[in-house]
Amino acid sequence: MESAVIEAECAIGSEERLRLLPYKLLARYLAAPPDRELLELTTRLEGDGTPFGRAVAELAAGASETTPAAAGDEYHALFIGLGRGELLPYASYYLTGFLQERPLADLRADLGRLGVARAEGCPEPEDHAAALCEVMAGLISGSFGDGRLSTQKRFFETHIATWMGRFFEDLEGARTARLYRRVGTVGRRFLEIEETAFAMVDGHEAAVSVDG
Amino acid sequence: MRKDSSRTKPGRRDFLKLASIGAVAAGVAGVAGRKAEAEPDAGAQRSGYRLTHHVKKVYELARF
Repeated sequence: MESAVIEAECAIGSEERLRLLPYKLLARYLAAPPDRELLELTTRLEGDGTPFGRAVAELAAGASETTPAAAGDEYHALFIGLGRGELLPYASYYLTGFLQERPLADLRADLGRLGVARAEGCPEPEDHAAALCEVMAGLISGSFGDGRLSTQKRFFETHIATWMGRFFEDLEGARTARLYRRVGTVGRRFLEIEETAFAMVDGHEAAVSVDG
Repeated sequence: MRKDSSRTKPGRRDFLKLASIGAVAAGVAGVAGRKAEAEPDAGAQRSGYRLTHHVKKVYELARF
């Protein structure tokens, strides 16, 4: 068992590990409005001519044209609003039209198996897009889960690929979004990469439940 | 137990390379050093992680 884990660790090449960063970047933008530091960091991102690279370059440009206050207003209008924001970035909502439905229950069961628990006193459901991006980052880094690509693949295909691309599209077209439209494009393009790359992993039904 | 159920087809690594995931990495290279190990408290391997959701503390840990 231990040697299997070590093997898996060694198998994490830098390309695999780099995938952490987009997930964390997206998680930070979706979890809270960007502070000055995050905006500053974002302006330093450089993209190349690939679709994802272009999206990143656009986001970098956008970050240099905004301020924490303006981005905060956007965030508020998009996700908090009066009563509710323009968008509801929850898996359950996208999959069923309602919050806290079956997809959330399924997610909780899987998170339990992976050893991820919700912080006490935290009222937000776990199927928020930011939380899911963060879980992916943790699965990649090995903070939890078994370090296997098949585990990542299963989680991604079950809890993310089923809806998050649509959410990012909505973000791209959101009325109140400016900088966040570009966050949406980065997210959509990144998920496309992930989807294609996971198709190159032999996952089958293995992973999460193997060791019960 | 199956030995390695997540074998990677040869194309994946090349694909990831070409997909310029590095675009995000390049810009944060300077700060990424301290980030890499800044995962939230991995203490007890399987149950130590707390998903502090939304607008909450864990994101301070998740900095690049």
